[in-house]
Amino acid sequence: MSGNMKQYAFFLGCIAPNRYPGCEAAAIKTSEKLGIELLPLKGASCCPAPGAFGAIDLKVWYALAARNLVLAEEMNMDITLICNGCYKSIWEVNHILKHNDELRDGVNEVLAEVDMEFKGSIDVWHLIELYYDEKICGVEKVRASVTRPLSGTKIAPHYGCHLLKPKKERHFGDTENPPMWFEELIDALGAESVQYRNKMQCCGAGGGVRGFDLTHSLDITNEKLINVQEVGADAITEFCPFCQLQYDRGQVEIQEKFGQAYNLPVLHYNELLGLAQGMTPQELALDLHAVDCKPFLEKIL
Amino acid sequence: MARVKEYGNAELEEKLRDTNYYTTDSNPQFLEDVKKLSRTAANMCYQCGTCTGSCPSAPPRSSYRIRLFMRKGVLGLEQEALNDPDLWLCTTCYSCTDRCPRDLAPTDVIMAMRNLAFKVDIVPRNFLKTVQLIYNTGHGVPNNDVNRAARVKLGLPADPPTTHSYPEFIPGIQKIMDFYKMKENADRILAEESK
Repeated sequence: MSGNMKQYAFFLGCIAPNRYPGCEAAAIKTSEKLGIELLPLKGASCCPAPGAFGAIDLKVWYALAARNLVLAEEMNMDITLICNGCYKSIWEVNHILKHNDELRDGVNEVLAEVDMEFKGSIDVWHLIELYYDEKICGVEKVRASVTRPLSGTKIAPHYGCHLLKPKKERHFGDTENPPMWFEELIDALGAESVQYRNKMQCCGAGGGVRGFDLTHSLDITNEKLINVQEVGADAITEFCPFCQLQYDRGQVEIQEKFGQAYNLPVLHYNELLGLAQGMTPQELALDLHAVDCKPFLEKIL
Repeated sequence: MARVKEYGNAELEEKLRDTNYYTTDSNPQFLEDVKKLSRTAANMCYQCGTCTGSCPSAPPRSSYRIRLFMRKGVLGLEQEALNDPDLWLCTTCYSCTDRCPRDLAPTDVIMAMRNLAFKVDIVPRNFLKTVQLIYNTGHGVPNNDVNRAARVKLGLPADPPTTHSYPEFIPGIQKIMDFYKMKENADRILAEESK
């Protein structure tokens, strides 16, 4: 432990480091101000993608996710991550292998080939749940870290799917009477969170559907965008880079395919938190976003 | 009704084909395999349709009906289920699973059926591309030059501290995938398709 910092192995996944590196940079810098130190998980791979990869062979999905877990076990450190898809692979495989001897033995048989063994000695957390957890950070600490309040902005929360669902295997409670904890974290930045129709609906990207039938997946995204626009949101925020990609690049694709334009900036919560803590758009690589963030930035800068 | 009509016209054969289910179509082992892979008691489904009603991919957006797949699982209609392209329209959002009054996981039934489909070479090519990318780079979505330049501007290393910076971990990943002959099968299916 360095001082009072809580340390975690930072599992990056693919889309954050390789498409939206601002999410990665922001996660490291913003967490530091909240007493959370993110350390590199050297040699980690794709989680691997629960839908696009797990659909092919769950046994390999278990084994490759377990390999990532063992890297953190070797550091003797809990994992934290910033993507719902990664959460499904890394958290869920950890959970399943801890409780299912048959599957764990099968995985360890394969891992033995690469001199590894899954022991089940660590836990996995989404960074957003650590922020909300009073014992680790808590909403008030997030509020206290804000130096540039996002006053006057209306922000639509997108929870995504794999952090909260399936609810009986998770610990976030009901997914039907919509949860409001993400809104607390948004409001703590000085912004106004807004409610919209079908808030808990999927972005449309998952399960390999974005790759299998882009038009179909965009039609789901478009439904969400219609509902978000209806309540006059200035931006969408989420805690899943894949949802971010679907909403952000998806808006360009929707304009091409369906001829509908929204120009709704899409920001990962860590990017939003970075802005509220005084980071510049350049420090967040917001220029890599497909949808121009300027209209939103003009409201707060 | 005759199962084959012999009208001598492929279009008519298809249009008027006998779509009744016969016990000879049924493979009871299919249900057992689905239950094992999905880790859910798929046989308990009583066809209420809450799953299809909760599904963002369902009609009117498409013809994909998850309840139908649940039924085909229970009836052991392996060929019907695995050859239906709608199998690949599930976004795995788990809304059906959260709402199922029988406490089942229809999403995981779909995942199990996709696993079984891959075993008989039925798989959309985007899934195979992901397999190849992970095998070769460790990442399903690998880094690129534009992103490397952006990372450096942010004060991050050009490549993240994953397999991208530590390629010595890639052979281990390949060994794990080879153990299940996954890459081999993906390559073979893609090669046969492009013949």
